[in-house]
This record gives sequence, structure tokens and C-alpha cells, in this order.
Amino acid sequence: MAKKVGAYICTGCGIGEALNAEALAKVATKEQKLEICKTHPFLCGAEGRELIRQDVQAGVDGVVIAACSPRVNTDVFAFGDGVVVERVNLREQVIWSHPANDEDTQMMAEDYLRMGIVKAKQAEIPEPYRVEDLARAVLVVGGGLAGLTAAGAAARAGYRVVLVEKEATLGGWVATRFRQVADRPPYTDLEPVDIARRVREVEENPNVTVYKGARVAKISGAPGMFEVSIARNGEAVTERVGAVVLATGAVPYDASRLEHLGFGRYANVVTGDTLEEMAAKGKIVRPSDGREARSVGFVLCAGSRDPEHLPYCSAICCVESLKQALYVKEQNPQAAVYVFYKDMRSPGQYEFLYQRAQREGVLFFRGNIAGIEEDENKALTVQVDDVLVGDRVVAEGIDLLVLATGMVSTAARGEMMVVGAEEEEEKKSGVSLVRPDIYFRSDLLNLEYRQGPELPSLKYGFPDSHFICFPYETRRTGIYAAGAVRAPMDLPSCVKDGLGAALKAIQCIELTARGASVHPRALDTSYAEFRMEQCTQCKRCTVECPFGAINEDEKANPLYNPTRCRRCATCLGACPQRIISFKNYSITMIGSMVKAIEVPEEDEEKPRILVFACENDAYPALDLAGINRQQLSPWIRVIPLRCLGSLNLIWIADALSKGIDGILMLGCRHGEDYQCHFVKGSELANYRLSKIAETLTRLALESDRVRMEQVSITDYDRLPRLIEDFAKRLEEIGPNPYKGF
Amino acid sequence: MTKVNPEFGRKLQKFGARTSYECFNCGNCTAVCPLSTNEAQFPRRFMRFVQLGLEDKIKRSLEPWLCYYCGDCQQTCPRQANPGEVMMSLRRYLTSVYDWTGLSRKLYTSMGWKVISVGVLFFLTLLVVYLFHGPIVTERVELETFAPAHIVHPVGYAFGAVLSFFLLSNVYRMYRFILGDMQGKIPASAYIRELVTLVLHFATQIRLRLCANKSRWLKHWLLMTGYFVAFMLVNVDIVSRWSLTNEPPAWWHPAKLLWSYASIAMLYVTTEAIIGRLRKKEPLHQYSHSTDWMFLILLWFTVATGLLVRIFMELHWPLPTYYTFALHLAFTVPLLGLEVPFTKWSHLAYRPFAMYFMRLKESASS
Repeated sequence: MAKKVGAYICTGCGIGEALNAEALAKVATKEQKLEICKTHPFLCGAEGRELIRQDVQAGVDGVVIAACSPRVNTDVFAFGDGVVVERVNLREQVIWSHPANDEDTQMMAEDYLRMGIVKAKQAEIPEPYRVEDLARAVLVVGGGLAGLTAAGAAARAGYRVVLVEKEATLGGWVATRFRQVADRPPYTDLEPVDIARRVREVEENPNVTVYKGARVAKISGAPGMFEVSIARNGEAVTERVGAVVLATGAVPYDASRLEHLGFGRYANVVTGDTLEEMAAKGKIVRPSDGREARSVGFVLCAGSRDPEHLPYCSAICCVESLKQALYVKEQNPQAAVYVFYKDMRSPGQYEFLYQRAQREGVLFFRGNIAGIEEDENKALTVQVDDVLVGDRVVAEGIDLLVLATGMVSTAARGEMMVVGAEEEEEKKSGVSLVRPDIYFRSDLLNLEYRQGPELPSLKYGFPDSHFICFPYETRRTGIYAAGAVRAPMDLPSCVKDGLGAALKAIQCIELTARGASVHPRALDTSYAEFRMEQCTQCKRCTVECPFGAINEDEKANPLYNPTRCRRCATCLGACPQRIISFKNYSITMIGSMVKAIEVPEEDEEKPRILVFACENDAYPALDLAGINRQQLSPWIRVIPLRCLGSLNLIWIADALSKGIDGILMLGCRHGEDYQCHFVKGSELANYRLSKIAETLTRLALESDRVRMEQVSITDYDRLPRLIEDFAKRLEEIGPNPYKGF
Repeated sequence: MTKVNPEFGRKLQKFGARTSYECFNCGNCTAVCPLSTNEAQFPRRFMRFVQLGLEDKIKRSLEPWLCYYCGDCQQTCPRQANPGEVMMSLRRYLTSVYDWTGLSRKLYTSMGWKVISVGVLFFLTLLVVYLFHGPIVTERVELETFAPAHIVHPVGYAFGAVLSFFLLSNVYRMYRFILGDMQGKIPASAYIRELVTLVLHFATQIRLRLCANKSRWLKHWLLMTGYFVAFMLVNVDIVSRWSLTNEPPAWWHPAKLLWSYASIAMLYVTTEAIIGRLRKKEPLHQYSHSTDWMFLILLWFTVATGLLVRIFMELHWPLPTYYTFALHLAFTVPLLGLEVPFTKWSHLAYRPFAMYFMRLKESASS
């Protein structure tokens, strides 16, 4: 707890003109009894900063800066490790979004200052969690293109790498290819695959220990201290690593399920892999009689983008088929080559390859296949409803029909496990507010994690965490997925993924060494603390943690792994006993902020709306509203939260019992295309909200007094309306009857 | 349901379509085309037909004749697939499909056939003139004595009759291909009523005015009226006797004035077309098939020698007049004999008939 708190009010940027700084200072000195409260016209300037620095030297260890948003000038207002800095956002969220020299605006500023001071008073300086004997090695699972790239990159960066490959040789899927598309101008050449070079680089690097014909039998522990048990030839080897890169790739979709496309029914229907083999052997022939194939058809999206099979696009089949079509043309330029596609997806420079194939006379048909038949010579006739012709067209005499089967992540194989975060009795009702997590027993990592033995999948079995914001991240801290295991992708993307994941792994090791969190709360040294004597073993924290950071010990107590933790504080929000806290973020801190809000009497007709805003998207959106001078309701009081998932229902109870009229929760979008930075936080907040409705009704309070809205950072223009609507609803309900109690 | 012919693209290359495989069917060409309509969409659809070799569909289409090759599609094509030129090649291809003699296909696809047939007709004409010309009067110009009208005119009519037979029989085949399926559904009155369409488009090429560049219509119309006037004058000559005569009338004779207009109009437009094709600035002129050159060269020399004959007559130079006249005939015969029924010039019939057939089609479906 900060021993000596000083408040510093900046009157620059128009704050001095819009607010009564003297009255503000009185709040700090008279009401909050601070000895130090200074006003300066330019606090972020050298002079203003020096003013604070001198006080810090004189013993101030809690600094409340009443100036601009905490999202700006973070480097200016930093006074060393031992000083708590609390920012009171007078600029963006008070004077820029409310009228100047107005009674309500002044009341708001004073409330924010009170809230800031009580928070600073309660905050403690986090002590970083240090791992004893930190393991700095990187485990790479899978020796294909992405894995080799990750291993090579981490080794070159000076980290020891443990590479586990289930096959007897390295190289993976790429090694089974006859040619690859050249990644340089004119982007139309087919060249030998360059995987051998990458394999050699990794095998020759003394920093890399390669286990071939091996599998990961078990991983226990946490980042910086993973214990990995590797099974090879019936014996077990143990390695200690700091982070893991999962690069086990994908496998082709099972063609035997594509009987409707003739596979298994007709001798001359094969998959792309068979064609690669034939091309590598030197001649593309009809399997039925071994005669040269003079007419070859390619069926794209064979099982992909098909709700019956793989609902997604496998990203590379178009380009692979274009390449294979050119194998046929290189063997015999007169050969007839047909490509049946849904949409030609040859992005970027692959367009040139598409153009080359067209120029060489490959015929493209866009539309659905209406029928595939075999004639007496075992040649195939394909009927297709070509949308560009607007009619059914028939291609006859096809010697060889190649199915471009899609990708199935290796993490999507094995028995599926559905693990829900809701309580048992709710599951039976069939209405699910929290989407359950899907795991597959894919035998890739065999994690000793309470929530599941592998990585939870995002969609279609791909263990990603978020497609755009956080590539390579998974929902297990310190374990990064790279390459086709996490999303369908082409060779250059696998290389980029391998590099990216290696960097993430290194970041994780280095941040763990400093006792800090990884992305998105990178450098945060606080971590959760459990007052175990009050734990009732309800398991809410172990179930709700989006990152599986909390295991269970043999007595069913939560067993927290600080280095797995992302510091979102979802556990803090989940815990009904309120035993979880962070040094600088706790139930009492936020609770006392709520209590610091002055609630006017009912007859003053000044309602109060408490806004809990997610600091990742909603809080910046409120700032943006201010920057754009959007006028917001004067009744709101905003408290930023690490994640809406960290919202504990006690704060709502505190607020309502204090007479606050309504509570607005602003979080990220949840559900299918979630935007939550901690994956499930806003979804869990929504779930908790569903439970508070009953409580409110029991207290004779209207459940409408608490509302949750999903906003993204770009939604700032929606905010005035959204808040106004809520204020109107509260007006209809009438004031909180608990006012003045 | 139509069969795919992967060889067709290669076949059409000989007719000038070298870029059809570049097309990825985006449809910019159709979007920008001022002539394409919902009912008759081109060129995108035809790029597709060509790529897949849907010969049957192409044979039954009249859309290629509805395109007047302004070249806008070529300028907006993101793949340099030259849709305008592909449509042009389709017209060449269709001309060869309509022609039942097979000569058209030979002329379009074989350089040997082109050179030999032009050469044969050229020298054959000279030989005929050499064998059958009348007495050569050197004191003054006596063209009719050199080329007796009683021989030239009947031979001319017979030649015209043969050409008309070929051309009209090809038009009939075009009709069968395009409207063969719906013959029964077309009311007889429509055939009569729509004759107006036929005449209108034959005489005015009004569709060309829908293209963005209006000057092309004017030039084309000058050229067309030029040879129409020349054609009519040659025909009435047997009555008025102003041209193939030993006593030519004075310059202000209406026939002579019209003849001057025709010569100058044709010479101007053909010269400009030749220069354009050499400069290759406009899309229309960038890709010249050998038959385009054949047409332009024969036409230019026919007009130029015709004009020279007139000049030599005015100058009273007997021998140059006779020789030039012989050359004039030697250019005229291959020009008319090969171009009108079998190659480029046949569009004088196919284009207005395409409009006519389109109206008949509409009347059948309404």
C-alpha cells in the first residue's frame, strides 16, 4: 500500500479553463487528506515532471496525475519501479466530452480525482514472480517447414532448441512435393523444393537437439519450466524447456469420403498427393493401364468449402493444382488440362502462375460438378454447371481426374472433448451462454493441464486464439502454433509463421525471466494471489481461466501457475469468495473506487451511472469519443477494467447499495467472432450478468439497471447514443431506492 | 449441354484470336461495351465460349455481328486479352462456318491459298483482257473500242450473279444456324415487317453510331456510300453509257460527279485505314489479320487504278488508259470475287442480316 500519495493536477490542454482547479485541489487536500497536491499548467513538460520527481525523491510513493488519458504520456509519467502511478483522465473523458465550466462536469472531475486517490492509496507495488532455474530452451514439435524454420530461427538467436519429429526424417509435407512455386519474379517457375537445405541447417546446428521417430508423451509445468517427456523407440527422454512451438502441420482430407467425386469408384480418380508421386517418378499415367495421361482434370475444393466435409477453404489447393496442371503441360504441351473450381484463390503473386496456366491452355471451369462418369475405356466424363457459360458443359475423355483434397489440422484429429465453463445444472437447460471449449485428443502435446490435454481449438479444430490480432498465439501461454496446424496456409506463410512463433517463444522466455506477463499485458509484473484459507473449492477459477493457468492439486484446491497467467484477472471476477487479488488490482481497490463516487440525493435529480469499461477496446473508444468531441451523458463515472471478465459481481452490489442508478458494462464482442483480448472475458461477464438478474429482482431492483454492451475501439461514435439510451431507460425506471441509505 | 473442345482455341488462333486464354472472365469488357445488352451480352461470354471451345454455341450466336469493334473493351481489359480482337476473329471464323464451299476457311487460315487465289484471279483477268480486247486505237482514247461493252457488261453480270449466289446461300446457312431451332415460331409477317430493319442497317450502319467514337461511323459510311454509288453507276452504265464509252461526257455530268465522290471517298478512307494499321495507335488497328491487308490493298488499288483511268482519259492518253483499265479489272475481280462472298466484305450482308435475325428471334419469343 502506498504510504505517501501526492496529487498533481495539470491545467494545460484547456483543463484549467474548463474546470475549477482550486476546488479540485480541495478534494485532494481537505477531503482525501493528502498533504501534497500541486497544480501545474504543463505537467508533462520538463518542469512539471521535475516537480513530481522531487516529491518522489522526498518520499512520495503514490502519484496521482490528474491530466490526460492513461493511454498517453505513459513514458513521461513513469517514476521508477517503486512508485505507484494512477492517472485521472480529466482531458479526454471529462473536458473533451462534457461542457466547460459546468456544475456537472466539475462534479465528475472531482469524483474521478477521488476515485484515483483511493485507488492509489490501496495499490501496492507488484513484485515480479521469478522462476527458479529458468529453462531457456525452445521445444519445437514437428519437423516440417514451419517447425524447421522456427527451430533454425530460435537456434540462430542463441537458444537451445529441442526438435521432436514423429517421422524418421525431417522435412514434413514439403518433402513429398515434386516441385514448388518459385517465390521470386516472374513467379511462374516451378523449382525443386528447397527443404533439404533447411533440414541440413537445423541438423548441423549444435544448438538443436533433434529427436526423430519420436513423440511428445507428456508436458507438465508452465512457461519457463516445462517438463517435456519425449518417447522414442520405447524409451523416454526428459527435456526442460521454456516455451513450445507447435508445428505439426496438417494432413489431407480423407479422400475415401469423396466417393461422390469418383474416388474409390473409378480407377483413374486420384488425389493430388498421388499426382505428386507420379510426377516425381517421371511420368503422369493412368493408374488403370499405366498409359500416359493425355487429358487430366483437376477438381478443386474436393471436400473443402463443403458443409458436408470441410466447411473452410484450405488455402493452398488452388495453387497446388495450378502447379500440378503445369506438370502435365510440361510433360506434354498438347495435353488437355481441365480445372474445375468454385473460386480461383491464387492471391498475390500466384496470379502470375494462374496466368501462366491459362496461357498454356489449361481450361478453367467455374461451377458445381453435376456428374462424373466413366466410359468403357476407363476415361472420365465430367459434367459441370459452368456459371460463366450459364449452361451445363461436358468435358469428355479425361484420362486422370485429380482431387485437390483440403487440409485437416493435425490438432483436429482424435477424440473430441467438449468442456464447458458453465455450471452443471445450467448445462442441462440446453441454453449455453458460454461457448464450451473444444479439444481433440490429438496426441501432440499431452499437456498436464486441468482443462484439457491439448490446445483448445478456435474453429474447425485449428488451435488458434485469434485470427488477426494475435497470430501464433494459442490459449496456452508459452505454446505457440505455427504453420498449417493453426490455419491452412502456403509455404511462404509457413516460413513466416515459423519465424513469428520462434520470436513469440523467445519473448515468452525473456518476459518470464523478468517475471512479467506476455502479450497483451506484456511487461505487467503483477500476478494473482489466492487467500487459500477462504477457498471453498468451487472450481470457478479453474474452469473460467481462458488460458488454463490454474490446475488443481490433489486436494482439489486451485493450483495457480503464475507463468501461464496472462493477468486478465478473469479469476478475480469469477471467484465468489473474492479470495483472488493482484497487488495493483483487487476487489477492494475497485470496490473503494465505486464507494468513492458521490451520489447526490434523489431530489437533486442527478442520477449516477457507473460504467465498467474494458481497457482494451471500450476505454480507448471513450477516449476517442472525447478526442472527437462527442458529448457524453454527465451522469457517467467510468472505471477501466483489465478485461470485462475481471468484473466481480460484488462491485455491482456495492454500486447499487450505494444508490448508483445504473451500471453499464462495456466489453468486447463475444461469441463466434469474438474480439475479446482474453478470448472469453466478455463472454463470461455476460454469463455472470445473467445470474445477477435474479439477485436484483430479489432486492426489488429492476434487472434493467445493469446492462452490458459490446463495443469495439472504432465504435466511439456509437457511444453517446448508447449511453443516452441507457440513461433514458433508467429515467423510466426511476431513481435507485437505496439512495441515501 | 455443350461439349468442350480444348483444341478450339488453337484453331481460332489462325483467325487472329491469340489472346483469348489471357481472359479471366471478369466482365469489364461487357460492362464497358456500349452495344452489349441484357439480351445480347458480349464480349465476356464469348471469351468464355472460345476458351472452352463451345463451337455449337458460337455457331448459333449472332452477337459477334453486333460488335463494331470500337476497342473500348481492349483498353479496359486488365489482362490484355483483347476481347475486341477475339470478337473480330469470331466474325472471321463465322464467315468461314457460313461458307459451304470451304474456300473461306482456306483464305482465312492459309497464306498460300490467299496469295495463289488472288494471283490466279489477277493474272486470269489480265489474260482474258489480253485475249478478248478489241482493237487498240492510239490516236485518241477509245475505251469502248478496247473493251467492248457488249462483252464487258454480260461478263460483269454473270460474275455478279455467281457472287450473289454464293453470298446469299451463305446468308441462308447463317439463318439456319441462328434461327434453325425456332423457324416454326416466327410469324410470317415478321419476315416482311423486319425487312425495314434489314434495309435500315444495310444503308446506315446506324449501330456503329452507338460506339463512343462517332468519327468511325462517318468514315465507314463514306466508304460504304462510296462503293454503293460506284456499284450503282457501273450497273446503270449499260443504259447511260457514260463510263465505258468512246465519247465521255463533260465533268459536270451527274454520273461523273458521283463517280468522283465515290473514288475520293473510298481512296481517302482506305488510305487512312492503311496508315492506321501501320501506326497501330487505335485498338481497332493494332492487330491486323492477313485478310485485312488483302482487303485493303485490293480495294485501294482498285480505286486508285479506276481513278487513274479517268485521269488518263481526261488527258487523252490512250495507251496508259487501256493498260490501267486492264489493271483495274485485274484488281477488281479478286477483290469482289474473294472478298464479297468469302471473306471480309461479306459483312455487308451478315451485319444487317444479324440485326434482321435478332428482330425475328425477338418476334419468335414474344
